Amino acid sequence: MSENVIELNSVSKTFRDFWLRPTVAAVDALSMSVRKGEVFGLLGPNGSGKSTTIKMILGLISPNAGEVRLFSMPPQSSAARAKLGYLPELSYLHPFLTASETIRYYAGLCGLSRREAKRRAGELMEMVGLSDVANRAVGGFSKGMARRVALAASLVGKPQLLILDEPTSGLDPVSTKEVKTLIKALAAGGMTILTTSHLLADAEDVCDRVMILNRGKCVAEGAIGELGASLEDFFLAKVGDVRDFKLAGFLKG
Amino acid sequence: MRRWFAIAKATTLEILSEPLSLLLLLSALTLAVLAPALHYHQFGESTRMAREAGLSALFTFGTVFAVAGIFRSFRRELETGTAQMAMAHSVSRGVFFFAKFSGALAAYAVFAVILANVSFVMVCGAAVGGEIARRSGDIARLWAPALAAGLAVVVLAPAVAAALNRFWRVRFVLSAFAAAFSISSAGMAWFMDFPLAARLSGAWLVLAFPAAFHIAAASAFAVGMRQSFAVAATALTMTLSSCAVGNYYLADFLSKGGAVPWMYVAEALLASLPAVAAFVVLGVHLFERRDIA
Repeated sequence: MSENVIELNSVSKTFRDFWLRPTVAAVDALSMSVRKGEVFGLLGPNGSGKSTTIKMILGLISPNAGEVRLFSMPPQSSAARAKLGYLPELSYLHPFLTASETIRYYAGLCGLSRREAKRRAGELMEMVGLSDVANRAVGGFSKGMARRVALAASLVGKPQLLILDEPTSGLDPVSTKEVKTLIKALAAGGMTILTTSHLLADAEDVCDRVMILNRGKCVAEGAIGELGASLEDFFLAKVGDVRDFKLAGFLKG
Repeated sequence: MRRWFAIAKATTLEILSEPLSLLLLLSALTLAVLAPALHYHQFGESTRMAREAGLSALFTFGTVFAVAGIFRSFRRELETGTAQMAMAHSVSRGVFFFAKFSGALAAYAVFAVILANVSFVMVCGAAVGGEIARRSGDIARLWAPALAAGLAVVVLAPAVAAALNRFWRVRFVLSAFAAAFSISSAGMAWFMDFPLAARLSGAWLVLAFPAAFHIAAASAFAVGMRQSFAVAATALTMTLSSCAVGNYYLADFLSKGGAVPWMYVAEALLASLPAVAAFVVLGVHLFERRDIA
């Protein structure tokens, strides 16, 4: 039996407002596991609970019920988080730092020495094709360039588990292709990857297994090949809703 | 230690890269340089006026710099998601909070040292100017050396930063702070008077302790805004304690004509340390409880 890198057992999360009134049940009794060495896709429409699930795996938010285990440890454990890299949905970067300083900052958070951080920053800047702008502040970068810096930052600690939240968001087709090639190369090297997307073609290209979420619940899970000839048809059958198409009717009328 | 250092360094750079920080520095320097010279009556106390203008500028602008700097830094980390990125690494929330507090304290130290240097130059310049005015009988020369030295920092620092930014793309605000630090330190070295520097440093230290307290309180306030009880308690305690810790020592120091005993500095430190520690502990506790979504 394969070793599970991530395990969620009946995890639920309800957000509350300032007065502690429940506002939205983002995740509802979700159970899942990601095995060592696989590329696992968490798919679903916007607001389905993908990012909330990832934040619970990272220990950034606490579930109201259920249990999350990361490398068989609680997600708040420093030892568990030392083994992971994270690329958030939006490229959160300090705008006043240069691209090179940003990578070195995250290298520092991984506990790398100054010399090692500088070396890794040079390698990663080269890998994401930003060597010539390494000394420019990232606040002036385009969305795609910021995405590349964030991707480099997520890899700086040579993680065993890489969590990618919408990794191709904001990238042009060439960069999207490069990121997908990179994911395949990292997976071939034995890295476990958890990725979210609402772009089904991306998931079909890189994932070994996927889980489809809708309104915080799992509606399907399995290997790509097991879910039918077309992932898009399967996805729409599971989460499609005629209410989504009201706008077309409104425009006709 | 490396994680703490990385976060603290980034926080210092962040605060010193803020346009608001430079605006506060230049405003404080302008007050410290111009306020004593613009008084109509001097009464032969020009050096004392220069010293008190510098202390007032540090107390008022330093408090705003400390509170605004760390509050904006923490809120930006939480609202833009950089805290998420940091917390996804093996960094505990306690280390993150304390590192940001330390980084803000370092940024405040840079601000305070620049202001202290300029204030020292103003005091020495006023003494030199007083001698020139006495010998020449021309009272208009009283402030000439002090104003020339003080305004050199206010004008030259942004000018040097603008040139660095124009020709080498160096970050403007950060280089303005570096230039102000270098120019003011050179001015201090030029006028160096160790007994005077030792006397003034006691007063500057007395003001640094409440600033540390303000940074700790503002940090706790920034991470605990959703907990309404904590907000109310923090705000009330901050107001009461800042009055108690800050004003008393400063007022007493000034009333003694600037000769503050070192024992007094130790008392000020002892008075502020428990408050700083309490707010760091409160901040870490609030930060550990909150979701970083």
